[in-house]
Amino acid sequence: MLEITSTPLVLIAILGTVGVLLPIISISRKEQGSNSFYAIIAFAALIVSVAYVGYQFINDNVSPSALFSQDVVVDDAFGGFFAIAMLIVALFTTVGSFNYMRKQNSPAVYYSLILLATIGMVLVAYSTDLVMLFVAWELMSIPTYVLVGFMKKNPSSNEAALKYFLFGALSSAIIVYGISISYGLTGSTNIGEVIQGYSTLDPTLFPLALLSVGMFIAGFGFKMGLVPFHQWLPDTYEGAPSPITALLAAATKKAGFAATIRVVVLGMVVLNLDWTLALGVIAVMTMTIGNVAAIMQKNLSRMLAYSSIAHAGYILIGLAVAPHSSLGLQGSLYQIMNHAIMKGAAFIAIAGIVTTLAVTNIDKLKGLGRRMPITALGLVIALFALAGIPPLSGFWSKLMLFGSALDAGSVIWWAPWLAIAGVLNSALSLAYYGWITRKMYFEGETEKRVAEPKSIIAVMIFSTIFLVGFGVYPDPLIKFVEFATPVISLGLMP
Amino acid sequence: MATEAFGLPFEVGTLSAWLVWILPFAAAMIIPGVGKLSKHATGYVAVAFALMSALSAATMIPVALEAHEMHHQIMWIEALGLKGGVLADPLSIIMSNVVGWISFLIMIYSTGYMKGDKDIARFWFWMMFFIGSMQLIVLSDNLLQVFFGWEGVGLASYALISFWYRDKKKDHVGVEGRTVLGMLDYYSPTHAGMKAFIMTKVGDVMMIAGMLLIFLFAGTFGFRELMGDTEWATAMAAQGLLVPAFVLLFGGAVGKSAQFPLNEWLLEAMTGPTAVSALIHAATMVKAGVFLVARIGPLVFALGAAGIMADQFFEVVAWVGAITALLLATQGMVNPEIKKVLAYSTGSQIGYMMMALGVAGLSHQYVDGYTAGFFHLISHAMFKASLFMAAGSLLHIVGSRFMTDMGGLRKQMKKTYAFMWAAGLGLMGAPFITTGFWSKDAIFAAVYESGNEWALPLYVIAVLTAVITTFYTTRMIGMVFFGKKSRHIEKMEEEGHHIHEASLSMWVPYGILAVLTIGIGLIGLSTEEGLHHVFVEYLEESFGIHTIHVAAEESILPEFLQGLNPVALGSSLVAFSTGIGLGYIFYIGRWVDPVKFINSNIFFYAIHKVILNRWYLNAIIYWCFVVAPLWLARGIFRYFEKTAIDYGMNDGVQKAVGWGAKVIQGTQTGVSQSYLFVFGAGLLFVVLILLI
Repeated sequence: MLEITSTPLVLIAILGTVGVLLPIISISRKEQGSNSFYAIIAFAALIVSVAYVGYQFINDNVSPSALFSQDVVVDDAFGGFFAIAMLIVALFTTVGSFNYMRKQNSPAVYYSLILLATIGMVLVAYSTDLVMLFVAWELMSIPTYVLVGFMKKNPSSNEAALKYFLFGALSSAIIVYGISISYGLTGSTNIGEVIQGYSTLDPTLFPLALLSVGMFIAGFGFKMGLVPFHQWLPDTYEGAPSPITALLAAATKKAGFAATIRVVVLGMVVLNLDWTLALGVIAVMTMTIGNVAAIMQKNLSRMLAYSSIAHAGYILIGLAVAPHSSLGLQGSLYQIMNHAIMKGAAFIAIAGIVTTLAVTNIDKLKGLGRRMPITALGLVIALFALAGIPPLSGFWSKLMLFGSALDAGSVIWWAPWLAIAGVLNSALSLAYYGWITRKMYFEGETEKRVAEPKSIIAVMIFSTIFLVGFGVYPDPLIKFVEFATPVISLGLMP
Repeated sequence: MATEAFGLPFEVGTLSAWLVWILPFAAAMIIPGVGKLSKHATGYVAVAFALMSALSAATMIPVALEAHEMHHQIMWIEALGLKGGVLADPLSIIMSNVVGWISFLIMIYSTGYMKGDKDIARFWFWMMFFIGSMQLIVLSDNLLQVFFGWEGVGLASYALISFWYRDKKKDHVGVEGRTVLGMLDYYSPTHAGMKAFIMTKVGDVMMIAGMLLIFLFAGTFGFRELMGDTEWATAMAAQGLLVPAFVLLFGGAVGKSAQFPLNEWLLEAMTGPTAVSALIHAATMVKAGVFLVARIGPLVFALGAAGIMADQFFEVVAWVGAITALLLATQGMVNPEIKKVLAYSTGSQIGYMMMALGVAGLSHQYVDGYTAGFFHLISHAMFKASLFMAAGSLLHIVGSRFMTDMGGLRKQMKKTYAFMWAAGLGLMGAPFITTGFWSKDAIFAAVYESGNEWALPLYVIAVLTAVITTFYTTRMIGMVFFGKKSRHIEKMEEEGHHIHEASLSMWVPYGILAVLTIGIGLIGLSTEEGLHHVFVEYLEESFGIHTIHVAAEESILPEFLQGLNPVALGSSLVAFSTGIGLGYIFYIGRWVDPVKFINSNIFFYAIHKVILNRWYLNAIIYWCFVVAPLWLARGIFRYFEKTAIDYGMNDGVQKAVGWGAKVIQGTQTGVSQSYLFVFGAGLLFVVLILLI
């Protein structure tokens, strides 16, 4: 049994209570109430949550790496790692919305939805039962459908929400289908028991088991933005409010990876099936298509949307080689943490640009380095980190990912090609990151400085310190990643 | 030394070893700040710190005389187990005193020489940085730390050679418009600085390769640690890597000491202020190479005694030294620029030192050659610094670097005239009264007595070089101080310039050194014996190299010369008198006009031309390593980069990516039905791959 003080339960309590209370407060207060009031409450709740996760880690109340238990959730380092990444992004979103939501209606609902979605994501990472996972998945998804369409009068926001919902519904259905097949084969929805069941499966039933794996990959792949399940993604990221895009790109995407790692990579390794090639092929397709499409984009949000597709491809490298190299999952987790910060910061920077200058077209960003120097600097650092330029934090995670692919090359012949594809793609990605940088710093010499939103500045400073600090001194982060990374073996059952 | 005095965690004596090199760096740190307040004050700060550094060095002298050593280490890079430290043994203590005191005198001289220069703070900064780096080389206890100092002097020399970076015509060297094999023999300060930097870098790269090779086997850079356990040497010798590693290390010395074939940068280094030339050529940079050989030489010899032979190393050192000595001495005979003559002479004299250190390893009495080489280093440091500073005064007063623009100056500049004779006699090796004589004689004796198969050719080269050295020194003094006044000087006097003696702060430093050259020369033999004695004990204690005491045979020499080799002594005397005699005929007595003499005979004319054109070595280096790569680069640019890279890759990749992006954008229709279709197809695709 789980203790009442275990991390997932406490997080549900904190975030759930505040999330439910916010709309109630707003109704009872008769007048609409200011945006910042609710934002501060949500911010406080998230801070307390992060602090609690950190406290649990420091006090060694967390079991190392990943466990499978008889309960529906487990308090392990793997979940905690994801929880920290997601909570930081939720914090980014909340802080970034300070200004963005200033003139919008019903702020209480907005922040409430962010908190509820956050519970969903965190629980996905902690789940050890397929049904629990599905419930958490929906808890994460449904508030975000609403958030994406939050700008009711904005047609592109509506279109974005509709597309997102349509694909979300489809993928949920596919996940349920996958769950039902695995339940039918093993008689259990507990991930640990499903694994045991699969390991003693009658070989004639293997194709069915495979079908369930395919279903999981496709269902989770929708959230991760893997090619070919990615097409909704640019439209949605572009149409959604920018802080919400940050939440989608940096946090819900990571929930997809958490689920994939726990279910597909850890769970299905006993199946002795070669799903690694499938992931490898998808990884290369995803990063290539993401980067190539990003190059020709005129809109900053859309460009970063494609870039986040490409990054899903990099992360997938680690998953694909995971059974053959211990570095694989470490690299993936490392990149997930970095990507959460980098992409989160980048989209928050866009939110700041949109609220101040009302532009997202890249051509209109001329002279941003003079108009909004701090935002521009934060954005450039985030972009360079995304490109993996040393000594920023993004460099080390990419190094570890590509290193893992080379490491696995002794077992599977195609693994080094993943590294080569990754390096080529990183070079390609510099083309558009560099283009934005050029626009911001080398054009528009006559621009004057405008006031930058303080909340955006706060996020920029945090992300810059994180990316540069852990870039120069990556040791603590690497230690944390090593602590949280599950070791693939057959002895995971309690 | 006093141990644990004042409760300090190290011996007080060790503290001074640290201070010797830290003080100049500290001065370099504060000089820019001081310069903001007062440019004038920077000079005093520099001189004061140079004096303190020299005094620190002086406090260590008792340790050297007792042939003890002080070794103090601190943890440097914990992760690699690297230790930093100072090693003050007789070798480094004597060297640091030579460097410290001569630098101090040069700093005093510079206060006069550089008076009124706009960028004076920059000058002092780099000078102090230079001295600090050199002392770091001298006192380091490991190769890596030496390398830091090594690069420090390289950097400082680059900055100082190019000090007058505005490239004014008067700061160039060479004759304007003169070409050799199509290469301009006329260099600007910035070009010269770059040339020095790049050429010495060639040596540095070799040195670091040698260092790392040794580190790979030994796991340490420390000199004492390398001597302590010689298993690494056995392992390296087994793979045939021992000699290459040492020769690579020597490559660093070749670059820094301007030895053949990396000698050509030294000439252009004359574009720097003369104080810099004195510092580079007398006390510091070029001596760093000799010092390095003196540092590792005993180690190599001790390994040889232990049965791990590396004789080829010593052969390389001896022959490089011999070739350089002769090659550069010949060029000193014909060059019209006074500083260039001195530069050639420096390279040549360092060749002597290398030869001595090399021969030492090839003979049974290691200490003889070792002492001879090191003694010559000391005496050369004194007389060459003096000569350079005196030449600087001439340049300062006359306003021209050409000796043909001087002439007949002995009346106007009496002090400089006298001191140049004194120091010049040191360079010539005037018998019995100058340090130069005793040290050169010691080298002759060491070469002659080495008993090696190469002894005879090396000996012939050494003596021949001595003749030439005496000749060009006489020529220099003759051209500057004797004969008629040149047109340049007459013109200056017509214009109302008064040719006068240099200022006090300038002539005192070179006066002191000139007097010392003679003064120590008078007691030269006992000085040499003292040094010999110190090194015998030093080599015995630190390296276990035994010196066999041979009872001096009764020779035909008079009593005060007992112990000298009569053959070497005879050769010395003959070389001196031949050289000075020829010089007198051409340049002082002016009985024969040298120009007519050269043109009288096609043979002389050809030799003169080859020598004047620097044996074509400089031009060949430029053709091979500057012009040819540029051609190659242009060819690659035109025929490869413009075509394959620009049209092929740049445009090609861009087009391909653009096309790909268009295709992907085409699929991004915005229509949900088509998206759903792709999604479904994707699911099918995934399951299919899984089923394969």
